[in-house]
Amino acid sequence: MLEILLSKPVLIGLHLAFAIIGIDAFLWLLGEIKNDSWRKARLYWSAIVGVTAFILSWLSGGYYYVKYYGGLVKPIIQKGLAPWAHNIIMETKEHIFLFIIPLALTALFITFLDKEEFEKLNIKWVSMILVVLIVGLGLVIGAMGFTISAAARWGVQ
Amino acid sequence: MNKPKLIYSSAVASSLAIVFVAAITIVAELQVPLKDWLKSLSGHHWVSKGILSFLLYVVAVFVMYAVTKNVDRKKTKGALWVTIITTILGSLALLTFFTGHHLGWY
Repeated sequence: MLEILLSKPVLIGLHLAFAIIGIDAFLWLLGEIKNDSWRKARLYWSAIVGVTAFILSWLSGGYYYVKYYGGLVKPIIQKGLAPWAHNIIMETKEHIFLFIIPLALTALFITFLDKEEFEKLNIKWVSMILVVLIVGLGLVIGAMGFTISAAARWGVQ
Repeated sequence: MNKPKLIYSSAVASSLAIVFVAAITIVAELQVPLKDWLKSLSGHHWVSKGILSFLLYVVAVFVMYAVTKNVDRKKTKGALWVTIITTILGSLALLTFFTGHHLGWY
């Protein structure tokens, strides 16, 4: 079972699936923050799901990257038609990913506030922009991942 | 728990962690001994950066929470804006650096 779980296609699938769940959860959080009724449980659980999903995406993707990418995928891309896919896209992606967890935790802490505290701080717009940034980074990282995979698949043709 | 202070501390800590990742990544690409040292910590430079940046974030949250006296709405809002701007600039810095590195600008 563990052998299947830690295999290359499953790890990539988990990395992507958790990232999609994280992005969706933060989109849900965005809607909840925009909603003036401040439904605390929904705010809190959407952020918890988002943070947990991004951590799991980080761990599954990180394990794949360290265990398989450097030895198997990177050489194919670098010898192929699009070496920039590793040298620019992958190098940028792997480091930008490290930004997400602190940002997601900061968004989670905002959901700890009560409605009165949130209104008193007057941080609705900046909170929404923070969440949009988390979602945007997630989507950009996803697009980068697709480009890297495509370079590995078609780079040698 | 002082919730505004926690948000402020986390925002400042996030900015620090992001600047740390961007700076150590760029410097380690240019200074091989630093990259080798990062590799020696965990077996992989990226894993070491991940562990160090998360530790920095956690420690900075605790330190900021302990040393910050009063957090008003101006401070909280300002810290969140700084985090957003730091994230955008950090991302652009890494993209520009690796583009230049690939194209042989330096």
